Amino acid sequence: MDTHTMKDIEWAKINKDVLNSLEKPRKTFWVVIGVCALLVLCGAAAEAYQYQEGLGVALMNRPHFWQLYISNFVFWIGMSHSGTLLSAILLLTKADWRKPIYRFAEAMTLFSILTAAIFPVIHLGRVWDMYWVLPYPNQRTIWPNFRSPLLWDAAAITTYATSSALFLYIGMIPDLAICRDNAKGWRKKLYTTLSLGWMGRAREWMAFRKTYVLLACFLVPLAVSVHSIVASDFAMSIMPDWHITSFPPYFVAGALYSGCAAIITLFVMLRYIFKFEAYMTTEILDKTAKLTFAIAMVWNYLNLTEYASIWYSNDMFEKEVLLEKFFGPYALVVWVMLFCATVAPFAMAFEKFRHNMWAMFWLSLVIQLGMWLERFQIVSPPLASNHEPWTWNVVWPGAVQLTLTLASFGWFTMLFLTFCKVFPSVSMYEVKEMVFHRRKASSRSEMDDLQKIKEDMIKTEEGLA
Amino acid sequence: MALKRMLENWSRLRQRDYYENEPYMWGMSIDLNKCIGCGACVTACYAENNLPVVGKDHCSRGHSMHWMRIERYWGEPHGDADIDIKESEYPERGAHYIPMMCQQCNHAPCEPVCPVAATYHSPDGLNTQVYNRCVGSRYCGNNCPYKVRYFNYFSFWKNLPHPLEMQLNPDLSVRDKGIMEKCTFCVQRIRDAKDKANDEGHPHSVKDGSFMTACQQSCPTEAIAFGNLKDADSKVAKLWEEHQVELNRHEQDKAEDIRGYRVLEELNVEPCVMYLDRVRDTQA
Amino acid sequence: MRRKKHLLFATFEDFDKARDVVSELKVLDLKEMVVENIELYSPIEHPEVEAILGEFHQPIQRFTFFGAITGAVCAFLLTAAAAQAMFTVQPQGGKAVIPLPMDIVIVYEGAILFGVLSTLAAFFIYSGMPRRLRKYYSQKVSEDQIGIEVQILPENKEKVRATLDKCGALEIREVIQ
Repeated sequence: MDTHTMKDIEWAKINKDVLNSLEKPRKTFWVVIGVCALLVLCGAAAEAYQYQEGLGVALMNRPHFWQLYISNFVFWIGMSHSGTLLSAILLLTKADWRKPIYRFAEAMTLFSILTAAIFPVIHLGRVWDMYWVLPYPNQRTIWPNFRSPLLWDAAAITTYATSSALFLYIGMIPDLAICRDNAKGWRKKLYTTLSLGWMGRAREWMAFRKTYVLLACFLVPLAVSVHSIVASDFAMSIMPDWHITSFPPYFVAGALYSGCAAIITLFVMLRYIFKFEAYMTTEILDKTAKLTFAIAMVWNYLNLTEYASIWYSNDMFEKEVLLEKFFGPYALVVWVMLFCATVAPFAMAFEKFRHNMWAMFWLSLVIQLGMWLERFQIVSPPLASNHEPWTWNVVWPGAVQLTLTLASFGWFTMLFLTFCKVFPSVSMYEVKEMVFHRRKASSRSEMDDLQKIKEDMIKTEEGLA
Repeated sequence: MALKRMLENWSRLRQRDYYENEPYMWGMSIDLNKCIGCGACVTACYAENNLPVVGKDHCSRGHSMHWMRIERYWGEPHGDADIDIKESEYPERGAHYIPMMCQQCNHAPCEPVCPVAATYHSPDGLNTQVYNRCVGSRYCGNNCPYKVRYFNYFSFWKNLPHPLEMQLNPDLSVRDKGIMEKCTFCVQRIRDAKDKANDEGHPHSVKDGSFMTACQQSCPTEAIAFGNLKDADSKVAKLWEEHQVELNRHEQDKAEDIRGYRVLEELNVEPCVMYLDRVRDTQA
Repeated sequence: MRRKKHLLFATFEDFDKARDVVSELKVLDLKEMVVENIELYSPIEHPEVEAILGEFHQPIQRFTFFGAITGAVCAFLLTAAAAQAMFTVQPQGGKAVIPLPMDIVIVYEGAILFGVLSTLAAFFIYSGMPRRLRKYYSQKVSEDQIGIEVQILPENKEKVRATLDKCGALEIREVIQ
């Protein structure tokens, strides 16, 4: 069945279908953008208030020096992982089902990094002095402290944002050329500039393919390192339940997990909004769901390992935090997380479920909720019951933090929707390649069939003779 | 020239016993037997170090700025209490007090995690916080096992009613919102004492007892001793020796009935504050 | 004065036809030396094109390799210099002046960043981009047709044109520039 689904699409139709998605947006689009912009404005107001008054308005305190800002940061960085990492891995392993879905997944990566990058800024006590974190020569001869995992973060995220933006852009050049050839007005100017005069010459294609594969080779280890480094923020500390050796792989698995869920959400949405049924097929959803399920199991394994190793170590501080997690003030968060991220994904074990678009859509949202809560329960409960019992304290994020969290979702959605209206969210040239190769493969098999029939006939004739 | 200086610096800084060649290592000893939990040290610290008084609301939200705090614990660490604790909220014997402030760890977990190197170790063993350098990432606060770092969540100095700004200590700054602060072992007094010693002509030996930290000065029961651990004749060094607590050893091999210990010693953070355990007759 | 270039630009239905054209032209070229240069325009990548047009010399991976090494070295120098500069003002007593474990992290990121950027630079160098669009470029090429550009001497125009026609060219444009 696989090889037959997409081979019959005309190339011109691919262009038309995808370019249609760039046509003048419907009213709903503006409504959604408007709501998102409103959220972002609320966030900006909250940030201005916090900037003016001090971080106390976010209701963080001692010992809760970190809270939602950091867990949101981890959440968005995590979400960014699947797009580029999966795209790169599937490219290197030559899995052709990546082709219709990688573009929007990579865009998702880029925009979630851009969202994540806001949080360390909001989080800082003195935002206005943030540039002190950069290593630049100054007359005070003071350099940043490269021992701090926060500096590793800064290095990793700079590299990651740059590389994945370039990966997205390079992969989009042939499509930008298609847009250029069909656009008018300001779009024409934009695409002409961005497509850099791509004409599809053989040497361009050769250089393009080489570059693309080389970039993919960099992006796989890079993405793994980025979330390991984010995990180091916690693992390198001496806090009980933060100082855990398995945190880096646990974070990477969690990142892939929530990222895959996000891909499924956007997959179903784009398919519905832009009528991409011919490209975003059930077959691809099925494969993505299987992948998500596998990653979910890895994440679960690492999560259980974490609990088990704490339990087994019998370290009094860590055990205390673990028990507090399950039965303490934040217990609800932990149990809901375990339901959403551990129990719910088992639905994907059933083929019928995997093939149901809307069921998968809701499931992916549930998983993301679970993973968001996971980040919260990584940050807050260990702070609430730390080494020093006298400072034990329970704090829930206040209005300012929640507003900024919502604003981050608005910000992401706004960027992503704008992207989908300005740039093709399905890779036209790669879908053409997919169609081309599938058609070739099927015609080859048809030829083989003909050959067989012919041989059979010859044999029968010989037999008759 | 620069290279030569660099290599010299390296060989000096890299040696393991770097602190051994320094004349000072400030340390403290707090006798919990003597502590009555009166809070005089806390008040003195507020006055000396320009700590903001945040008020009831902020205090209940965990924004208080007491560099020195008296922690109260009601549980009995050893033995059975005769009085049933469950029956009354406060057992007759009262709480177990422990004054807690920055332990000036020699392996301070707060230091390596600061992205801008705003906190570092001074040659005389102080865990230093540079206010002007701090950007407020609050990583140090998280990584402090004693949770004795205090973050300026607001510009508290703005709330100071009029004549009160005149009682601020001119020897140190008033901190604005967005930065971390903590106990400095009254570094302004240490500086002052060092300068005086310099003027008197013995530059590298501040006489023991020639100055006190604010908390030590105000303690009515003299539970706090402070001084130079490098000076074998100082009161604090003698106390450390007597109670068999040593720096650079994370497991103190103590004889029975020795009261000296350092809080959370097993984390290997090398605190410079020794506590003397409270002895109580649990049967009485 | 620069000699004017004479070009024929033809579009074809699919890659197989284009391949036939190229091989015909090659045969023709062997006999009569009519063709100076052939370029192929396609909407998708055809890896087998190198077999027809000859290999492209594009050592992009070398840029990547040396870029990554440069990045690693630069990142190490940066962290080492910063650590050394800070150490003289902020002694950390007995700890290594240049701590290697954290350097590894920064070096890793530095290598990747520089590697990516130099790969990109190599891409621009070897693909000849950014460039202006050629006037005779057909928009059909970005859709579903294959374009073949043949550079010829003016006297051979008819022969080549005939070959292109014979192989089923959809459209032939003559360009002199």
